Amino acid sequence: MSSNNNKKWFSLNIGRKEKTSSGSCSCGKSSGGCGGSSNAHHMTNEAFTEAAINASIGEERTKDGFEQVFDVKMDRRSAFKKLTASLLIGAGAVSTSCSVISGDESKEKAQIDWEEQFKGNYKLMTDKEKEATVDRLVRSYQLRTGKNISMSSKNAEEDVLFGYAFNISKCQGYMDCVNACVEENNQDRNSQMQYIRIHEMKDGKGFNFNEADDNYYHEVPAQGHFYMGTQCFHCDNPPCVEVCPVQATWREDDGLVVVDYDWCVGCRYCMAACPYDGRRFNWSKPEVPESEINHNQHYLGNRMRKKGVMEKCTFCVQRSRAGKNPACVEACPTGARIFGNLLDPDSTIRWVLENKKVFRLKEDLGTEPKFWYFMD
Amino acid sequence: MKNNINMMNKIVCFSVFLLAFFSCKHHENEYHSITDKIEAESKDYHGTSISSEAYIGEIQTIEITEGDHTFLIPERKSQIKSYACTECHSKPLSQMKSKDIQKAHWDIKMDHANENTMNCVTCHNPDNIDDLRSLTGHTIDFNTSYNLCNQCHTKQFEDWKGGAHGKRIGGWAPPRASMTCVNCHDPHKPHFESRWPARFNTQKVKERE
Ligand code: SF4
Ligand code: SF4
Repeated sequence: MSSNNNKKWFSLNIGRKEKTSSGSCSCGKSSGGCGGSSNAHHMTNEAFTEAAINASIGEERTKDGFEQVFDVKMDRRSAFKKLTASLLIGAGAVSTSCSVISGDESKEKAQIDWEEQFKGNYKLMTDKEKEATVDRLVRSYQLRTGKNISMSSKNAEEDVLFGYAFNISKCQGYMDCVNACVEENNQDRNSQMQYIRIHEMKDGKGFNFNEADDNYYHEVPAQGHFYMGTQCFHCDNPPCVEVCPVQATWREDDGLVVVDYDWCVGCRYCMAACPYDGRRFNWSKPEVPESEINHNQHYLGNRMRKKGVMEKCTFCVQRSRAGKNPACVEACPTGARIFGNLLDPDSTIRWVLENKKVFRLKEDLGTEPKFWYFMD
Repeated sequence: MKNNINMMNKIVCFSVFLLAFFSCKHHENEYHSITDKIEAESKDYHGTSISSEAYIGEIQTIEITEGDHTFLIPERKSQIKSYACTECHSKPLSQMKSKDIQKAHWDIKMDHANENTMNCVTCHNPDNIDDLRSLTGHTIDFNTSYNLCNQCHTKQFEDWKGGAHGKRIGGWAPPRASMTCVNCHDPHKPHFESRWPARFNTQKVKERE
């Protein structure tokens, strides 16, 4: 048990200690377990471990890859069952500290589940704790699917404030951005949730979202129409953040408004508070074919979500913090999307803001979106 | 009387103090708008450690300076399949027009302005086919062909230099690399084709039913 480092959650070291003690255990035997007959427990150690693990993650041993990650039961009963199982394992950790090797992976999974269950809000974590949770998630994915992902916990860089500009006269309505976004951010294929919407609007009617069509399917650009994209605008004064009862969503220092999927309780207050239809709630467990999963992930971005949490555009935090453009910007064949650092006076986004006639939606609300529109 | 004046002085002094106190109710780092904030916070901008260099990848680039802007654009000549043109065009263009010479460039169909305004030699140099030529007869290198386009498309050129027109290569961070005109527009047929959207959301249709 690690009590010397000041974690904000309680953790056990069932699986890990064992590795360092190279297979031998407290009772002195180097293989085959400690033997149960002399033990004060009614169950043998192996049986106890087996029972505890079965209660905790038993199902997962028979399910494969995808289901394991996403089919996390969220109802109270199974959550409670899991919790007690975790406690059971915790209680039995000492007495079962040496068991057959085949149980190691299950134990490690249980250990990870335990630590993940009691981890704190990402927003309040130290860098070390952030790294730890990311490592756990990567390891968990590896244990469950046998595949590797890379997950970053990279923080906001100093002197960076992200901003976006959208050229209404250039957008042709191709929706290549929507495609790229779905693939980049591992969005659920079944429910066809999409962070970006492209609105087809009639010329001469202004920006009339009520009469616009955001689900057209015909050759584009259509005669007498123009196109306008919306997504989360990463408001500098975001009302969605204000209303969250558990602070599961917040504004990062580089201006990105993010969600901790593990802290979100799915109340959807933020969705109601957003004046721009920027947030998406996942009603079903997100499913992505294994071959299409984007393995380059960020904790606050495109990592695998569970069912019943809020998602939204993060300006592709996994890309933007590494210096890349968001997937939508890269995919747009017309160059209608411009992204960059608002604090860099030489950046292209700054040139656009200073030299084009830019405007934002519902500017009077004081939400200060960092997403500007302009025309040629 | 003297006392009164003293009193008045005190009151005036106090109210000036009050005024000064309440009029700066904005804390530091709190701004009226995002534009104020951007302006204030970028005053002492010293650059970041983030670079987009790695994402430019295999693309060969050249650095250009136009007005206040210096940035990279893709190198062009190595991308043209049959450059140098003189490998085929051994004679001046006027002589190539005769019937007994093999027909080439059959796939090029001009759809750029009208015949009154443009033909091949509006851009290509008939005397030295390896180069382009400005309207006034100056030589323009294939690598900097944007200098041809900007003769007519001045507004687009301004926007392109600043970064409002065209597409970035790599990422948002420095160094800036941008596509040049011919990377997106076929110079012989510069408009974008109409086509079908990349996807259709069947679930939204269901929701509406
Ligand atoms: S656009 Fe909506 S979801 Fe995005 S930051 Fe603003 S209020 Fe929040
Ligand atoms: S849905 Fe999640 S992020 Fe949104 S307000 Fe509720 S808890 Fe917060």
